[in-house]
Amino acid sequence: METTPPSSPSSLASPSSMEFYDFLDRMRNPASLDLVRSIKSFIVSFSFYPANPENDGKKVQDFFMTMEGALRDHPLWAGASDKEIDCAMEGLEKYVMTKLFSRTFACSPEDSNVDREIAEKISLLQTFLRPEHLDIPAILRNEASWLLAEKELLKMNSFKAPREKLLCIMNCCRVINNLLLNASISENHVLAGADDFLPVLIYVTIKANPPQLHSNLKFIQLYRRQAKLISEAAYYLTNLISAKSFIADLNARSLSINEIEFEENMQAARGANKLAHDEPDPAVEEIAARRRQGNPGPSFTMSDKERIMKGRSTYPFMEAKADELTVGDVERLLSIYKDVVNKYTHLSEAFRQLSLSKPEFHHLEGTGGLFAQPPQISIRKDKESVEGRGE
Amino acid sequence: MGCSSSLPDRASGRLSGLNSENGSVNDAKNLRVKLVLLGDSGVGKSCIVLRFVRGQFDPTSKVTIGASFLSQTIALQDSTTVKFEIWDTAGQERYAALAPLYYRGAAVAVVVYDITSPESFQKAQYWVKELQKHGSPDMVMALVGNKADLQENREVTVQDGIDYAEKNGMFFIETSAKTADNINQLFEEIAKRLPRPTPS
Repeated sequence: METTPPSSPSSLASPSSMEFYDFLDRMRNPASLDLVRSIKSFIVSFSFYPANPENDGKKVQDFFMTMEGALRDHPLWAGASDKEIDCAMEGLEKYVMTKLFSRTFACSPEDSNVDREIAEKISLLQTFLRPEHLDIPAILRNEASWLLAEKELLKMNSFKAPREKLLCIMNCCRVINNLLLNASISENHVLAGADDFLPVLIYVTIKANPPQLHSNLKFIQLYRRQAKLISEAAYYLTNLISAKSFIADLNARSLSINEIEFEENMQAARGANKLAHDEPDPAVEEIAARRRQGNPGPSFTMSDKERIMKGRSTYPFMEAKADELTVGDVERLLSIYKDVVNKYTHLSEAFRQLSLSKPEFHHLEGTGGLFAQPPQISIRKDKESVEGRGE
Repeated sequence: MGCSSSLPDRASGRLSGLNSENGSVNDAKNLRVKLVLLGDSGVGKSCIVLRFVRGQFDPTSKVTIGASFLSQTIALQDSTTVKFEIWDTAGQERYAALAPLYYRGAAVAVVVYDITSPESFQKAQYWVKELQKHGSPDMVMALVGNKADLQENREVTVQDGIDYAEKNGMFFIETSAKTADNINQLFEEIAKRLPRPTPS
C-alpha cells in the first residue's frame, strides 16, 4: 500500500525558512528602519499589559493588517506581487509570534488546566480504547499510516510559529486522507468522506496524545493570520478542534462499548496511573489486581516503549536545535529541567519503595525498567534527537 | 483516478497560492462559498460531492480531492464564477453535537437524506431545525433526496420532500450520485440563489 507521506519536516521547513530569511534580510536593509521600529515597538508594547488571550489575539491580527498595508506602500516592496507580500507577511508572522511566544502560548492557568485534563483523559482512554469502539472499518485500521499521522500531530508542539503548527495538523490529516483514498481505490471501500475521516482522526489523536493540544489549537486560532484560516486549512483545523471536543466530552455513550465495561476500564486506568505517580494505595492495588485477573490479555493498546517515546514530546525542546534557542527560552528550559529532575527523583524513589514493599507488582515491569536503568533511557533520547536533527 | 492526482498540493504552494485574493475574497464576479453537508451516515453525502467534483471535465480547473474536503469552481451564464468549498460532516449520531463547529460561517447548507430510508428523512428534518435555530439566518439551504435511482425501494415520496422543503423555505431536489442525475443542477441552483455582494 503506498501511503505517501505528504511532507517530511524538512520539505516543510525549507520554503518557510527561506521566506523567513528573506524577510530578515530585508529588515536589515537600512530602508526598512521604519518597519523595524514599528515591529519592535509592537513587541515591546506587549510587556506593558498582563496577558489576555482574546485581546492579544485581536491586537496581533490588527497589527498584521496594518503591517500588510505598510509593506504594500513601502519602497522596498515597490511593485511586489501579492505573493511576495504574502511571503513577507509569513516571515513577519513567524518573527512576531516567536518573539511573543512565551507571552501568548498557554499563558492562562485555565488553558493549562484544560490541557492537563485532556492529556489525562487521553492517557486513560489509551489503555483500553480500540478502533471498533469508534466503529472504524477494519480496512482503515492501518498501523503504519496511523503512526505517520500521529508523528505529524506530535510535531505540532515543537514549533512556535502558528503557520508551522497548522501545517502539522494539515499533514496529519493528509496522511489520513491518503489512507481513505487508498482504501477506496485498492480495496473498493466506498469513499465515505467525513464519516470515515473524523473517527480515524479522533483515534489517531488519542493514540498520539499531542502535548498541550488545547493550547496549540487556541494559539493557531488566535494568531494565525485570519486571511489564512480559510478553506482546507480551516476545515482540518476545525476537525481537530472537533476531535478535541469529542474527547473532552467523551463518555460511554460516545462509544460502541458497554457502559459498565467503560467505567471499569476508566477506573482501572486511573488506578494504574495513580500507581505510577503516587504512593501505593491498597484500594487501587485491588482494582488493578482485579483487572489483571479479569483481563490478562493485551489490555494495553500501546506498549510501554511507545509510551516512553511519547513522553518526551511533553518537553517542547526535544526537537529544537541549539541555534533556534533564544535567551528568552532559558527560563522555560530551566523550569522543564527542574521538572524532569524532580519527576525522575520522585519516581525512582517511589519505585524503589514499591519494589521493596510490594514485590508482586510484576505488571509494572516495563515501568520498572524505566526507573531501574536511567542510562538506557538517556541514550535512547539522545539517539532520538540526533535522528530528529537528521530528518 | 490515481492516488497521485488526488494528493493536495504541497503546503507552501497551496497556502500562499490560494489566498492571493487577500482576506475579503468575494468580488462581484468571483464568489468563494463555504458549503456544509449534513445528513445521516450512509445517505451518500460524499458520493454526491465526488460526482460533482469529478464530473466537471475542465482540465484547467484546480480540483482538490480530499476524502472529506473538496472544492470545485463552476461558471455561471452571467460569467460569474462560484468556488464551492465543500465541508463534509460525520453523520453518525455520536458526532451530532460537533456540527455547529462546521456550519458556523457557512453560506450554504445541503441537508441530504436517502429516499429509501424514512429514518434518514427524519434526521434531515432534525438538521433543518437545528440550522434554523443556530445557523446564520441568510444561509441558503437545500434539501436533497439522494439515491433516486432506487425507485423500487422508495419509502419517502417526492411530495413529502417538496412539502417539507416548501414549508421551510428550502430548495428541494432529488439526485442520484450513482447515475449523476441532477447533481450539477443541485449546485447550479444553489449558485443562482446565493446573495451577491453589493458593489460598493
